[in-house]
Amino acid sequence: MTSYQSELGGGGDVAEELAKGQRAISIAEFFEKNKHMLGFDSGARGLVTAVKEAVDNALDATEEAGILPDIYVEIAEAGDYYRLVIEDNGPGITREQIPKVFGKLLYGSRFHAREQSRGQQGIGISAAVLYSQLTSGKPAKITSKTQGSSRAEYFELIIDTDTNEPEISVEDTTTWERPHGTRIELEMEANMRARQQLHDYVKHTAVVNPHARIEFREPSEHLKYERATDEMPAETTEIRPHPHGVELGTLIKMLGATDSYSVSGFLQSEFTRVGQKTADSVVSNFRDRHYGREMAWQPPQSHQDADIEAAITDAVNGKGKEATAAFAAAVADAVGGRDRVAHHELVAVVEEAADDVEADSGVTFGDTVRENAVDAAWREVVVGREADCYRLVDDATTSRKDDAAVEALARRVATAFANAEDARDRLTHDTLSGYVQRAAERTKERDDVSFGETARENVVETFWSVARSVPDDAPSVTETEGDRDTASELLEAMRETDILAPPTDCLAPITGGLVKAGLQKEYDADFYAAATRDAEVHGGDPFIVEAGIAYGGDLPAEGQVDVLRFANRVPLVYQRGACASTDVVKRINWRNYGLDQPGGSGMPNGPAVLMVHVASTNVPFTSESKDAIANVPAIEDEIELALREAAREMKRYLNKRRSMEKRQRKQDVIADILPRMADKLSEVTEREELHVGDSLARIMNNVLVEREVDGGHVKLVVRNFSDTNAEPDVTDIVGADPGDPEGAQVVEMDGEWFVKWSPTVSSGETAVLEYDVGDDTTFDISVEGIEDAKLTVNA
Amino acid sequence: MSSDSDIPRQDELARERLIDLAAEFYDQFAAGEVPSMQIPTRTKSNIEYDEEKGVWVYGDRHSTRSANTVGGAQKLLKAIYVIDFLQNQLEENRSSTLRELYYLSESWDLDAAQFNSQDESNGLIEDLEIVSHVKREDFHMRPEESGAKVMGPLLIREQTNRGEREIHCQDDVGQGGYQIPNNVDTVEFLDHDADFVMAVETGGMRDRLVENGFDEDYRCIVVHLGGQPARATRRLTKRLHDELDLPVTVFTDGDPWSYRIFGSISYGSIKSAHLSEYLATPQAQFIGIQPSDIVEYDLPTDPLSDSDVNALRSELEDPRFQTDYWREQIELQLDINKKAEQQALASRGLDFVTDTYLPERLEEMGIV
Repeated sequence: MTSYQSELGGGGDVAEELAKGQRAISIAEFFEKNKHMLGFDSGARGLVTAVKEAVDNALDATEEAGILPDIYVEIAEAGDYYRLVIEDNGPGITREQIPKVFGKLLYGSRFHAREQSRGQQGIGISAAVLYSQLTSGKPAKITSKTQGSSRAEYFELIIDTDTNEPEISVEDTTTWERPHGTRIELEMEANMRARQQLHDYVKHTAVVNPHARIEFREPSEHLKYERATDEMPAETTEIRPHPHGVELGTLIKMLGATDSYSVSGFLQSEFTRVGQKTADSVVSNFRDRHYGREMAWQPPQSHQDADIEAAITDAVNGKGKEATAAFAAAVADAVGGRDRVAHHELVAVVEEAADDVEADSGVTFGDTVRENAVDAAWREVVVGREADCYRLVDDATTSRKDDAAVEALARRVATAFANAEDARDRLTHDTLSGYVQRAAERTKERDDVSFGETARENVVETFWSVARSVPDDAPSVTETEGDRDTASELLEAMRETDILAPPTDCLAPITGGLVKAGLQKEYDADFYAAATRDAEVHGGDPFIVEAGIAYGGDLPAEGQVDVLRFANRVPLVYQRGACASTDVVKRINWRNYGLDQPGGSGMPNGPAVLMVHVASTNVPFTSESKDAIANVPAIEDEIELALREAAREMKRYLNKRRSMEKRQRKQDVIADILPRMADKLSEVTEREELHVGDSLARIMNNVLVEREVDGGHVKLVVRNFSDTNAEPDVTDIVGADPGDPEGAQVVEMDGEWFVKWSPTVSSGETAVLEYDVGDDTTFDISVEGIEDAKLTVNA
Repeated sequence: MSSDSDIPRQDELARERLIDLAAEFYDQFAAGEVPSMQIPTRTKSNIEYDEEKGVWVYGDRHSTRSANTVGGAQKLLKAIYVIDFLQNQLEENRSSTLRELYYLSESWDLDAAQFNSQDESNGLIEDLEIVSHVKREDFHMRPEESGAKVMGPLLIREQTNRGEREIHCQDDVGQGGYQIPNNVDTVEFLDHDADFVMAVETGGMRDRLVENGFDEDYRCIVVHLGGQPARATRRLTKRLHDELDLPVTVFTDGDPWSYRIFGSISYGSIKSAHLSEYLATPQAQFIGIQPSDIVEYDLPTDPLSDSDVNALRSELEDPRFQTDYWREQIELQLDINKKAEQQALASRGLDFVTDTYLPERLEEMGIV
């Protein structure tokens, strides 16, 4: 092996040599070598990804224009290749933009926007174009027509991988039957081995976009997914970043780009949820971090050996006895009147006193005099530092601490202040923390008394709370941008400050009703539930999690449940195992909710479909191919809560269903036994046959509907044995004209009369519905509005 | 009751009662009500002393069997099927055993009406006895096991399938004695030469008494109980007391289970408290083995087991044993923690029981 190290001494040739091979690569070239990163790793997969990218774009485009999407997807065999056609009814793309949108990677309107949308990077569709040109050598054929144009634009183009620029081979106009929209035709090397994933993708897209109509034609099948609602998803607005969500690099970049001078202005204009008050809090935190605070001490007490007045008198020379005395007294008075005083406060006091005396006596107090006075007074203030430290430590620790130990710690903290370079006792939180830590360590070593973590923290916080923020102006935007440490202090200050969660109008959840509608449309189940959580924030990006469950019906009872995963309304069909939503499903105990789950964890079994949708301005994916949601704890928690919410609804349904089934079983058994009892009783007592309907209905607390016919007079007796009101719809279909019975609607159809009553029968009450018909007619009754298990019809 | 001309009329009465019961259910159905029947709760806590009759009968607590639940509906269905079966049996003048009824239900067309266990069918017959006020013997239902044996100076006439038989219970019988039929009401007492009745728990002791000629020497009718006495045995004992005015004594082992045997003869059993009036002999007196005998005669003993102790404690709470005599004896037994069998008396010699123990005890009790 050649060792460059040994040659280094010989000269700079190696670097030169290496430099010859180093050059910028275009993004297109990069893609060519890293197709798998974008989901084009095989022919089968490539087809799914191309469909997915094109459909996502189509949905985004139509939605943005407020058009109900009508999307056509066709996959056809074309010689050695497959031809993919995707058409939408979107607003169309202007002539100038078409080559860039389809012929240039990383071109798009989305990357910089904080708004929920399907595509984000502007890689998708042009990557499909690139993939098709690389595998088939054929150009992409694009047709687009904007609203109001009579002709459509037509392009054939490829991407120049060296320059990442479109290379147009045909540019023309053509006619197209759609009033507006875009059509792309790609030919690529592919196969249909991923048919299942393709179908899943299209079907799941239909579930989650109930407002879209999608037609899907592939070599062996032709499927149509009809629209279930005319309601468009809520329009989203773009938002500024949230202070909790930016990283240092981004912050520095933003600082460089802003027009604001002050940090406060910068915060208010560049971030969401920051007004004057929030900006003030951030700036205050920023100053504390940047400058630190000044420790405020108790002014000298009468018993202490310190005298501010005397000290100032000594420090002031040549100002006349009277003026000096007045000045010293004023400062001593002002300081003595305070609980605590910090250095900058002392400065202010001295300034004020000097100004006052100047005005009264006409004697000038120059800067030097003032500074000397401050120094002299401060020396007196800090005389009491140790005693003050003792009080603060004593306040902060529990009463169980030994007096000597408290004193030892306080003494060491005071010494740290005394030895500090900054005589103003100005320090940052970290420095203060260091003082206390070291003092505590020493106290443990020397005096064998330990102050635990909590006690130390309490001491630090007690000191910090009496320390005063300094009056210095916060660093300006330029200063902050120029110094990485300062910028980092600002970032910490931003994160530390409580700020409202970002607004959620940048998000468009599907909403509960439409989640159910979507599931209902594609799955024939007995029960549907949906849950939409409130918005939460992850890294400054708001997100909303939704969950849906379909249960029973035609869903297969055997095997694991299906989990449909969506991010920003895009189905995720690959890498199920790597997805946070799958992990969450597996860790929920589904037995609690009535689903079978072997071993009590893992994928549940049973006739159910679970759906998870994460909507965010920035969904964290595990990779660029956007197949799996990353395991972000905040998102996982919300997924779990959403699933549990929907699952609770399912559990209620299942419980009710089970109790209904139990009731039905009881009814079946009793309904079998009672007539046998009655038969036997008639036999033993030799009396006429018995009717058991009343007894049965009473046992089951049912609503009983019985018919009594006497000549041409028909009575329908509705008895309510249940403990709630019953509101049945009773329809009797009669073979002869019943006239106009009281309280009933009569409709005649093909020689049959539909007589309908909707009585309200209170618990324990009876309603009688009567009418007259001729003899020898036919009856056919139907009772609706009461569950079968709670109804006994004997008519 | 015991004369032959009564029997067909009695059968007819029983049948009517059954049909009345069915008619009650029929009426409940016809009125659109939920069919149900009320039965006294058959537990220790629901028996009370009937001052007038001197026996323990069921108290006021009832449980309701109704078709409101699946279980209740099935029970009523079975009850109705049994009613039908019994009234047919009476009409045809046949009889069957409790066990036969259990197996017979297998032949019914409706699976839901079949019994799951014999306990269920036995219990149902008891239910019907209670609600119809007719004894199961009058339904022509027999228990599987036969009644006990009698030895003593007593002449009876029994109606058998093969006609009437007159039997003297000493002269006409072998060493085993006269076998009591299941329905004691087919027996008529003609004559006797006895001074008292002694009901004996174990077969071994009965054989000892017979071998030693106790029945002859003391003019005693010895009735073998054979463990917990069958209804027929209890009924016979009561009739000997009531009709012949003979004092009744009970001679058992000295353990809690034997006291219950005495209890069922004297006070009536919990399960058939509805028949106490007909089966119990409140005047019956307990001979022993008493716990105090164990001490007095220094009998060989076994220690009390846990279940013995529990049974004794439970007897202390049993309303039937709430007398000074029993409380004293039971507490003494718990104190000495010992029990003894009747045969333990043999430790003093085979004749000790007939020559010493029984004469002493009977004298104490004022019987001889």
